[in-house]
Amino acid sequence: MSDRETAGASVGIESPGSVDIELSLAPVSDPAWLIVEEGLTLAREHEIESIFAIANGHIGTRAALEEGSRLSQAETFAAGVYVDVPPSGLGPTLAVLPDWTHLEIAVDGQRLSMESGRVLEHRRILDLRQAVLWREWRQQDPSGRTTRIRFLRLASLQDRHALLQSVTVTAENYSGQIELVACLALPETRNKRAQLTISRDAAIVVMLAGETRIAMAMRSIPPPTREAQKPSRERAVDRLEERWSWEASLGESVCLHRVVTVYTSRDQVDPAGSAQLEVTKILDRGVSSLVRAHADAWSRRWSIGDVRIAGDDQAQRALRFAVYHLTAAANPADEHASIGARGLTGGAYRGHVFWDTEIYMLPFYLLTQPAAARALLMYRYHTLDAARRKARAFGYMGALYAWESADTGEEATPQEIVAPDGSVVRILTGEQEHHVSADIAYAVWQYWRATGDDDFMVEAGCDILVETARFWASRAWMEADGRAHIRAVIGPDEYHETVDDNAYTNAMARWNLDRAADAMAILKRERPAEWEQSSSRLALEDDEPAAWRRTAAALVTGFHPDTGLFEQFEGYFGLEEIDIPSHQSGAAPLDVFLGPRRTRQTKAIKQADVVALCALLWDEWPRAVHEANFNYYEPRTAHGSSLSPSTHALVAARLGDGERALRYLRQAEEIDLANYMGNAAGGVHMGSLAGLWQAAVLGVAGIRIREDGIALDPHLPPGWTEMRCSVQWRRQVVKLTFAANPVRIGVEVEGSGELTIAIIDGPSCRAHSGRPYSVGLEGSAWGAWRGVDQ
Amino acid sequence: MGRLAGGRPMTAVPTLVVPLDGSSKALAALPVARGLSHLMGATVTLVHVSDEALSPDELLDRIKLSSTEVRGLIIEQRTGSPADAIVNAAAGRHAALIVMCAPARSDAMYPLGSVPADVLRKAKCPVVLVPVSRGRRPWTLRQLALPHDGTPTSAVAIAPTADLATRAGAELVVIHVAMPSASRPTEPGTLAVPRYADQLHHELPMWAREFLERVRSASHPADMGKLRLVVAQGDISAAILEFAQRNASDLIALAWRGCLEPERAQTIRRVMRGACCPVIIFRVQS
Repeated sequence: MSDRETAGASVGIESPGSVDIELSLAPVSDPAWLIVEEGLTLAREHEIESIFAIANGHIGTRAALEEGSRLSQAETFAAGVYVDVPPSGLGPTLAVLPDWTHLEIAVDGQRLSMESGRVLEHRRILDLRQAVLWREWRQQDPSGRTTRIRFLRLASLQDRHALLQSVTVTAENYSGQIELVACLALPETRNKRAQLTISRDAAIVVMLAGETRIAMAMRSIPPPTREAQKPSRERAVDRLEERWSWEASLGESVCLHRVVTVYTSRDQVDPAGSAQLEVTKILDRGVSSLVRAHADAWSRRWSIGDVRIAGDDQAQRALRFAVYHLTAAANPADEHASIGARGLTGGAYRGHVFWDTEIYMLPFYLLTQPAAARALLMYRYHTLDAARRKARAFGYMGALYAWESADTGEEATPQEIVAPDGSVVRILTGEQEHHVSADIAYAVWQYWRATGDDDFMVEAGCDILVETARFWASRAWMEADGRAHIRAVIGPDEYHETVDDNAYTNAMARWNLDRAADAMAILKRERPAEWEQSSSRLALEDDEPAAWRRTAAALVTGFHPDTGLFEQFEGYFGLEEIDIPSHQSGAAPLDVFLGPRRTRQTKAIKQADVVALCALLWDEWPRAVHEANFNYYEPRTAHGSSLSPSTHALVAARLGDGERALRYLRQAEEIDLANYMGNAAGGVHMGSLAGLWQAAVLGVAGIRIREDGIALDPHLPPGWTEMRCSVQWRRQVVKLTFAANPVRIGVEVEGSGELTIAIIDGPSCRAHSGRPYSVGLEGSAWGAWRGVDQ
Repeated sequence: MGRLAGGRPMTAVPTLVVPLDGSSKALAALPVARGLSHLMGATVTLVHVSDEALSPDELLDRIKLSSTEVRGLIIEQRTGSPADAIVNAAAGRHAALIVMCAPARSDAMYPLGSVPADVLRKAKCPVVLVPVSRGRRPWTLRQLALPHDGTPTSAVAIAPTADLATRAGAELVVIHVAMPSASRPTEPGTLAVPRYADQLHHELPMWAREFLERVRSASHPADMGKLRLVVAQGDISAAILEFAQRNASDLIALAWRGCLEPERAQTIRRVMRGACCPVIIFRVQS
């Protein structure tokens, strides 16, 4: 069933600003800003779609071929929009939006496809700097005609509801009829109540995803040839098509732009009306204006977020890749959505949110885009009621956050799954992995102390700290030995379940309890009026903070003063030793071979657990403790989690072990970008990318947040001759340069005010904007800071 | 239409070449050849290599078949080196397959015997090796086991295998074996058991779906009706043989990179030595 409509001459041409056909845009020339995939390896297509995805924190679109292929997964996602219809037993999953990217080109009736004729050139280029996906394709059809096609795609960072697709088609060695068909297609899993309409101003698709209405409006700026100005439009049950055809002259290039706007009922009451209005406004202002604003927004992000490495091109590329995806995943304006394990680049992990967000990703936003960090923490505030319910359901007080959550904060971890052999396997992480509550409290505290955002603290942060502290106070049991114990948990090392007194969990719980008590004291002292309101709202009893401190002091941490080691959990030291390298050489997770039961009997651990604790609470213990624990646990770590290599890189860097830092940096760099593992097929690993950034900025540069500024402890690994990065502290941006030979640190501050720049175990200075500072290593000791007169 | 040889459709009726050396054991290949020819719409060409000039009756007597048993078959007599003669006969007829028996040998270095090994090395088309132990039982394709290591090179075997399975309405079981000692893959586009499994209940189903989607896309245009993935671990050949035996597989399909030297190609040598069912071998570019 179709409606055939022929658009009038007014479509897309009325607004003068829209007739700026040629965009002055090209990929940047510096290859250090480009991820390039030459040719087409169909088997890798899903990985490529993830790696080259575009996003802006509100919308994300995979880099599927415009014309599709046997393997294409042309998916677009909207942050915070989940469906669980029909119920899967696996929790909600990110909804797939209509495909706005599908484009087909036919020459004299022959559809161009990479599977027929000859591919003369094909490459996809992700321009990290400008956040633009390019595709360059030259195809010789079976008749010998060569057509050059260049695609461009972006998700505007300035206007997060706007998407742009442009295509330029050139008839290289022929003249003939070219037809271009642009589609707006419903996903296969669509709700059957979708509506597709064509109005004078736009083609609009409205669909329902769960309870959320999603609207996409599309307007095209047609090719400026007389014939092509009158596209035909066709509406089928599941798609809208616009067709342009023109008689191309030899060598003629014709360009088409499509602007798409996306609104959901999370944004607006009338998403369709808003989408239609917005797309009209964009065309009125002109596509060039959209592109310029997008590029400017990214330029501002890169001015703070960029990490420049001299001497290691692979690391440079991987770090910029990480910063690109981290920036593309966040939306500072949305407090009701967080960042899932794969961001908006793929449907793997169903878009669920894990501790990865607070422990791995949040530090990046905290130090480069604090507003985004705040929004992520507000998501946890807005889902606090769900955490309270979970705690009560388990018989505890306070808030126990979901191990996996979607939009509501309810626990989304399945309780069991059916294994490939038909057996039913219990999933215990949702029941036992409780450290997530302390992880969130940790992130709240870091944000507060780094930004000084007292308003956030009194409105939301203290609720999180109080309720998580209450949880731990109820979770930890005083036992006959006079100590408090937390039993039957899973720590970060998920190879060992139902363990007692996991060091990470207990130490983070203790820290949580102490910081909650500190926060109450600070707020009471510095914001007494708001503190009164908060404590009333939370029904805080006078003796609660003191009780938290007592519980904290009583908690077992597993620390052995004689060895300086933390016992990962009670009984860990008595487990069987296992030689990790002889059991695997990087091919697959250890527990797949040994089986979960056998793995549990050994000391093999899945990922950084005690090592992660060291990374997070570095200042709690002396360096010797970190060194002892890293040397003990590192050889026993199987790195079955993508989060593990980067944590090990960070700790190795801080310990000055450049060789191991570099080895683990490489492992982390390759998780998504290597072409022989297929890891990224379902989306890029957001936690791992963030961990890589942390390894560089918090590990190699050794940056730490302090109350009065930042501290530095650089250890550049072998081959790195220089590293530059920027961090934001309060309202100041600190630009840092670390040089290897000679060892020097350069600092420039932008913004008002002063801050302390300190070298760990070295000199400090009060720095303010307008004057660069530097310090050098003189022998084995740092010299004095010098302000450089400009 | 036969598609296996070179993957291109042929204008003539395809044929399957079945070498018979005159032994009773060699006849084990015939029921399998008949079954495959039925699926592929192919003829069967029996090839006997001898330097003697035999009359038709003598030839039948030599290959131990009656005139009734050879009705509908083509019979060819060739001279010279057996392996070369077989390969030349197949090449001359643009054979879709060579179907021959693989005598069981305890020799670990040469598990096939020199003639099958030479045929395998020199043939331009896939070779089906039939264990002698099958005897002359009829053969039907109901389940086809396809070990696949996840590399694009090995994926070349998927399309012809899927084609066979589709023609027979058989179940295609893709077997992926994870080896503890396996080194990191190096071939771009490889998909092995995931190196990182952050949350197993998400990771493994996702990986399995991806693996099967890649298999489906490689089997284009065959419509994969019954497709299943089995993940095993440990020694590859042992896992393949164990699966095939336990599930009574009718055919094992192997992608072979062209080496049979003792220190290499362990999997193919062990599978060919231990299989209870026929093994079809597709030579792929290394």
